[in-house]
Order: sequence, then structure tokens, then C-alpha cells
Amino acid sequence: MNGSAAPEQKTGDLQQKLCVIAGREILIDNEGFLWRVEDWTEEVAEALASECGIDKLDDVQWTVVRFLRNYFSYHGRAPMNRDLKAGLGISLMDLEALFPGGIRRGARRVAGLPNPRSCT
Amino acid sequence: MNKVRLKINGVRHQFIVEPDRILLDLLRDDLRLTGAKQSCDRKGQCGACTVIVNEQAVRSCLQKVAKLDGAEVITVEGLGTPDNPHLIQEAYVLSGAIQCGFCTPGLIMATKALLDRNPDPDDGEIKKALEHNLCRCTGYVKIIDAVKLAGRFIRGETTPDAIRPDPKGPKIGVSHPRPSAMLKACGLAEFSADIKLQNALEVAVTRSTEHHARIVSIDTLEAEKMPGVAGVMTAKDIKGTNRIKIIYGDQPILAEDKVYCLGDAVAIVAAHTKEQALAAAAAVKIVYDPLPVLKTPEEAMADGAIQLHAEWPNLCLKQPQIKGDAKKALAESAAVVEADFSTQINHQAPLEPEATVAYMEGEGEDAQLVVVGRSINIHLHMANLQEALGYENVRYEEAFSGGNFGQKLAMTSETISGAAALHFRRPVRYIPSLAESMLMTSKRHAFNMKVKLACGTDGKLTAFTIDFLVDKGAYHIIGVIIIKRVLWMLSGSYNIPNVDALARLVYTNNPAGGAARGAGPPQVTFALESAMDMLAEKIGMDPLEFRRINSLLPGQSVSTGMVYEQWPFPELCDAIKPTYDRAQKEAAAMKNGPVKRGVGLGTHAFGIGGPTDVGRVAVELDPDDGITILAAVADPGEGNDSMLVQIASHLSGIPMEKIRLVTRDTDRTTGMGPAAASRMTYMAGGSLVLAIEQLKQAMKEAGAETYEGLKKAGKSFHYIGSKIAEGKEAILDPETGQGPSFESRVHAIQMAEVEVNIDTGEVRVIRITTAVDPGTVINPHNLEGQLHGGMDQGVGYALREEYIHGRTKDWFTFKFPTMKTAFDMDVIINQTPRVKGPLGATGIGEMTMVCTAPAVINAIYDACGVRIYDLPATPDKVKAALAARK
Repeated sequence: MNGSAAPEQKTGDLQQKLCVIAGREILIDNEGFLWRVEDWTEEVAEALASECGIDKLDDVQWTVVRFLRNYFSYHGRAPMNRDLKAGLGISLMDLEALFPGGIRRGARRVAGLPNPRSCT
Repeated sequence: MNKVRLKINGVRHQFIVEPDRILLDLLRDDLRLTGAKQSCDRKGQCGACTVIVNEQAVRSCLQKVAKLDGAEVITVEGLGTPDNPHLIQEAYVLSGAIQCGFCTPGLIMATKALLDRNPDPDDGEIKKALEHNLCRCTGYVKIIDAVKLAGRFIRGETTPDAIRPDPKGPKIGVSHPRPSAMLKACGLAEFSADIKLQNALEVAVTRSTEHHARIVSIDTLEAEKMPGVAGVMTAKDIKGTNRIKIIYGDQPILAEDKVYCLGDAVAIVAAHTKEQALAAAAAVKIVYDPLPVLKTPEEAMADGAIQLHAEWPNLCLKQPQIKGDAKKALAESAAVVEADFSTQINHQAPLEPEATVAYMEGEGEDAQLVVVGRSINIHLHMANLQEALGYENVRYEEAFSGGNFGQKLAMTSETISGAAALHFRRPVRYIPSLAESMLMTSKRHAFNMKVKLACGTDGKLTAFTIDFLVDKGAYHIIGVIIIKRVLWMLSGSYNIPNVDALARLVYTNNPAGGAARGAGPPQVTFALESAMDMLAEKIGMDPLEFRRINSLLPGQSVSTGMVYEQWPFPELCDAIKPTYDRAQKEAAAMKNGPVKRGVGLGTHAFGIGGPTDVGRVAVELDPDDGITILAAVADPGEGNDSMLVQIASHLSGIPMEKIRLVTRDTDRTTGMGPAAASRMTYMAGGSLVLAIEQLKQAMKEAGAETYEGLKKAGKSFHYIGSKIAEGKEAILDPETGQGPSFESRVHAIQMAEVEVNIDTGEVRVIRITTAVDPGTVINPHNLEGQLHGGMDQGVGYALREEYIHGRTKDWFTFKFPTMKTAFDMDVIINQTPRVKGPLGATGIGEMTMVCTAPAVINAIYDACGVRIYDLPATPDKVKAALAARK
């Protein structure tokens, strides 16, 4: 209703923005996912991990990130949880706890995979 | 009950039926025949259910079985099979008359009845025989071609083998039959309502009767107790976000505390029969507290207007575009025209209703929710279902889809069937009526546009200003994308050095606007191209010459500031000139009577390959040395399956019959983005080219020519190609709207020839001619089919069609194009290979209707001197304009 705190007027394009990540200008969407998987590097992964509260990715986290990237580069889509579970031998509960934001908004983002709701 | 004996497709049956049992339902439900389709809510409006009864073509939805005792019935399944097709089925396939294929079985049966009694019909007899059969894809041109070809086959003048392109011959530029065409011609392609799902519950939805209201209470108790009801669910039963979120999460699957639009879904009922589900859905009691209804963007922006969505203001997006100094240029120009234009809300009008089915595959925690529907973006919709329903293990399968035209970029019925299957843990079918489908689907946005266009004494354009207000309707869907697409293509075919535009997108309580063929540019092109004619007249220049001299040239920039190096538009003006001269001469001879003829033009340079767009296509070499293409490339009728097969075969040298497509399943495909924005040939075709190049490179490195050779060399059989369109980003500067635009363009100029009856205001389109440069043509039939269908839709948009929420409920009230409104269409094709297009190709699906409405409106002006500024140009509007002029 008018009279309540009106949200900020939105102008322009809210879908993308250019950000400097690990010293490189990279295109991300409005939820912080890389627009292009090709922009990902290990340094970008560490920077994205740091943004979500992980000081440094540990070996297990790197294993998950690499699995995600390998799966995506082969299949052209992100793995389902059952693929992660089978491929990594880690329970879903443990996987969800490994990254703030869980698998969907944590691990996938750090691995540079597209936003789960992106068009491609 | 009545005992009825029928002979159906040569087999004798006996049925005992209620007096009101109709033949269509008997064929589909009792005999599980899927050829006869249901589109028009059994009103006899669409002909998709046509079968032959006692040698007559009849609409089976109007036939009471009880009255057919002793009848002989033939359905499309009784004509032929893919392995042994009937000559008429062959003719439809070989003429390119099959696009989505939903109308095809009915048309084939009407054709059979005609040719059985007259194997050599003329155009008029064909149109009369097929007048009850609707088609949204083809503009009827190739259907008439197919009937004529079938006649030639039947008369023994030629054979399918003589017509069929040599499958071993060239693959590019040849009209090889679509891979799916024969399946559709035989009625075997399974659309969502055709899927056989054992023990499925039928779903019905209780929808809002209010345009805007708070929900005070929902009482489901009575509904739950009704016969056959398995359960009722409301928003509280959905475990996820309950939000449909393409860009903004502003649309609930099931209404929570408010409804924003007439027809919003509030409750789902699942029951053993559809009748039981519908009865129970009607028994759900909802108490509303009505809120003010915002009917227009102006009302929504007014001081004190109620805000629809708490998180977003009614004016949800504002984007200027400024190039040069339009104000100064307008002041200094030799001639300026100024006008206000408006366009209507319209329905995309695919023939197939919004049917989906859903079920759980597997047991317990590992069960997968499988949703089968009409999506043209299955990965996005699968991801959205995961979040909305709070369930990760989801698979989306695209069924054959009965037309689309952008509509299924938005999610509709799959959210209902998915939610129901998950909640009730039962297979469900949600087969809504046409009227309900119209209530739930997104629409073409209505635009209000204030325009100024100016030029110098030499006729060169100097400035263009446009202030356009877009009715977003109740939900965002892809609103920001619509605005961006308009601004990316704003200056059309022309070099306009000074541009000043302001786009405003405004929530209202109208049906939500979404993607609709062209998605933004058709509205603005109507305004710009009308103004072009007004300005040409003002300075006394021929409209074609005026357009030709104002063409953008390589090295010049469009309104976003992006410079193009290829712009083969002037050549199209030259190509259409002889036709234009002929048409003008003919029109000049018809200016004196009550029926006056006119000629009008419209042009556009439609963007292909949006900035930063990404495609991904995987290919695998198979053990038999065939190739499987794995990519979510939806094909609701455009011919994407042809495109993939012909490109792959051309590049690999592998026969077309060994190119396999896996395109419809999220568990097996790459994410390829939507089959929208005319992007699939360019982005998927481009990705496919890259994937095959990798495969060929691997084979070359291995010195292998076969699967076994590659295997021995230890190389992968599986490669992914990813086409990435140009552009560092797709962001338009928020202050100036400057930035990147599309990587390539498809160019066109269309010419309409119309006759206006100045006594009645009726406008009859005689012919539309499209001169187009799409780059390399992969499949001429598919290209022409897209052009024909687009021209037909463009004429409907210009003259007849308007969607009024709650009042437009079927194909009659929508004014669906028919054989009676069909007109002649000509196509002139230039092929300038595009530097970055796959094999030089672009895309064609939308451009074809973008120029049509202004061409028709300009032709009306040329005929009778009145200009229509507000689409559609109905007889009443034309008559009123003529009266006002007097």
C-alpha cells in the first residue's frame, strides 16, 4: 500500500553487473553467479569463497568444486544431488554443510556454474 | 444408455454409452487414439478433432456417439503409419505443411474427405473444404500446397519419391522433411494430453474471480468431501518458495494472502475424474476483500494508487535511451511528424491448451518428480520448480508442443501438476480448458507510445523520440528483457543520429505480459514505421525510397551506439522494388470505387544473438558411427530439429538418418536456454558447429574415421560446443541506454496490399510480400513456413486480434485467423552469409511478424487516406476514422 515504506525505484538493468573478482573484471548476475563459466579460475573460486565466509577452500571443498566443474564441462548442465552423492561419496547433509548457501547457492556459485535459475 | 456399433479404422466395435458421449472423447479415452486433438473446448471451432464419418469430414467433438450406430469412422491412424504412410500424409510432410503438428491430423482428414470426392480441387474448393480447420503456424499457404500435391499423387501425376529431396544430396539449402513430421502426420506424436499415465488423478484449479483482492479465508472442507476427491491443496501445502521466478519472484503458484489478477490459482483439487475435480474446485469457498483494481499504467502511476507488490513499485522499471541530441535536432529539422500510437494486449494463441502431466518416478526419498509439459526452456523451468516446490529431484520433459510463439517462456500449468503430484504422491493430469488456458498464460504487452520523427530537406532522418509506457500486467515474467529488446532494436533498419527514448514498465491488475513472437519490437516498430510513412508524405518522397536512403550503412551505429559491419538492407529495398511498382500501379487503378486498394511498407532489422548470450550443445559419436546431439533445443514447431540434423550431417558427412536428437529431457541434455528470441539456429546451431569441429579435430588427431578408430586412440566420443555471443555485458547504461546490441541482425521489408471498403470499414488483405535476408538458408520450406505463419499472425495483430481478460474465451472471441482470412503471400530471399552465424545463418522466427502491422496500417492509409494509430484496425475504427475525416 502507498504510505508504507516504498521500495527503491528500480531503473536500468538489474540482471547483470561487472565486478572485479580476483583482480579481473567479471560479469555476474544479480545473485552473484558468474555469467560465463569460462571466466572461472581457481583464484576466482577462492575470491567467491571468501565472499561467502570461507577463508580458504580446504581439500574437501576443492574436491566438490572440481567435481561440479568437471560434471558441467562434460554434460553442459549442473549435477543433481544424486550425481553429487554418487560421484563424491559424501552425504547430502555433509555436502550442504560444506558451503554457506549449501550446494545450490554456495558450492555451485564458487565453482562458477550458472545460476540455477539462469536461462542457460 | 445406448448400444452403438461402429466400424473404426476397419475394426468393428460395440460401445454402450450415455446419450451425451461425444465421438472425440470415445476415440481418445476409450480407444486411446491420439490423432484427433482437443483445442476449442468442444465447440467445433478448431477442427483439430476432424475425422471421417461415413465419408464426410466431421468435427468429432460435435458428434454424439449415440447417433452414430452403424457408422464407419476413419481417424488419421486409419490412414497410414510412418512406415507405410498414406499419400496425403506424404504430401503434408513433403510440402513443409507441418510445423507444430497439433492441427495436422484434423487437416489431413479434411483433405482426405475432399480428395475422395474431388481429386483435383482448385484453391476455392480447398479453402471451403478446410474452412473449419484452424492453424496458427503456417498461414495456411503450405497446407493448400499440400492438398494440391496430394491431389497430384492421387491422380498419379507424380510420386513422393519423385518429390522427396535426395537424402544423400546436399544438406544445406534443401527442404529435407522435418525429422518429426511423419510422426505428427500419423497422429503418433504425443502432446501432453496424449500421454498415457496409469492411475492418474485428474486435477482442477479454483481460480480467482477477483482482479485484485485480499484473501480473507479459503474453505476446502466441502470440496474435500465430494465424490471422487483425493484431496485439495492450497499455498500452505507447497513446501518451497511457492514462487514462479523467471526474473522477479512476484508470482505465487497458489495465491497466499492476495490475488493480483482474475484467474490467479488459489486451490488445487485432485480427483478420480475430471468432472469430479471440476465440481470440487467449484465448491472451494473463498472469501475476498476486494482492493482497488489498476486497469491501466496511468492509473497505476497516479498519486495515491495502491501498490500491487510490496517489494516492487508499480513503476517497476524505467530506462532511457539517449544518442546524440534529439531535442536540438528536432528544432533544426526541415520536417517533423508527431503522433501517439497504442497497441493491444494479445494472446499468442497456440492451438494446444496448457496441458501438463506429472508423476513420481521411483520410491521414497529417491523418487524423482517428473513433469511433462510445453516448456521451451526446460532447464530453467526445472530449476524454478525445484525452488518453488522445495524438492530437488525434478526432471522436466518437453512433450510435443502445439504451438508456442513465446508463451511458454513463462511457467503455467506445470507448477500446478508438479505441486499436485508431489503433494498427493500420485500421477496427475492437468488438462485445462482453452478458456482456463487463456486465463493462466502470459500475453503480448500493450504499449502506449508518443513519437516524434524528423528529417532534413534531403530526406535523411535526423531525430527520433519515443516515450513508451508498457502495461506489465500483474507479474513481471520477463519485463526487463522486453524493455531491453525494444531498446536494443529501437532504430530498426535505419541510421538515426539522434535518439531520445524513455521506457517505463508498469504493474497493473491486467494479465501478465510475457514473451510473444517479437517480444517488444512489434509494438515499437508499428509506431516507427507508421511515422516513417507520415514523414515521407510530409516531404513528398516515395516511402520505399525514403526507407532505402535512410538505411544504416556498415560502420554506422544503432540507437545503443553499437556499430555494425554487415547491414544488407538497401539490397532488400532494391529486391522488392519491381513488386512494389507493380502493386502501386494496380492500386492506383482501384481508388475510385467504394473498395479502394492501397500499398504499405514496413521494415525491421531484428536482433539475433543477444549480447552475452550463451549456448551449449553436446555431441557424441555412436558405436554405429552415427551422432547423437544432446541439447535442450525445444522445437514447438519452428523446425529446430531440422536445423540440428541438417547442420550436423552437412559438417560431419554422416547420413541424416544416423543423426539422433536428444532434446527434450533435463536429465540428458545441456542447458541451451529458451527456444525464444529467434536464437536457436544462431546459438544452438553455432554451438553445434563448434562441437562437431571438436569431434572432427579429435578424429583427425587420432587418424580415425570411425567410432572404433577413435576408441583405439583413446579419445573421447563426447564433445561440447559453446557459442558465446559478443558483448562484454548486456547492460544498457541506466542514464543513456547506450551499450551493446545483438551480434547479428536479420533484415526484412514487407509490403502489404489491402482493399478497404469505405462503406463498412472492412479491410481485406490481398497479399503480403516479404523480402528478407536471413543469411544462409538451411531449410527453405522451414524458412518460408516461418515467414508465412508470421505474416498471418502480423495481419491478425493489425486487423482483428485483441485479448480481453475474462471475455476472450475461445477461438471465435479471439478472432483466430482462418482459411477465410488467408491471403496470398510472396517471399523474396537474399542470402548474405553472416560472418558470425553458423554456416552464415541467423534466425527468422520473429522478424517475420514485426513489420507486418505497420505495412498493413500504411496500406490502409494509402488506400483511403485514414491512419489508424490504435491497433487493431477493426472495421469500426476504420469507419470512424473515415467519418471523422469527412
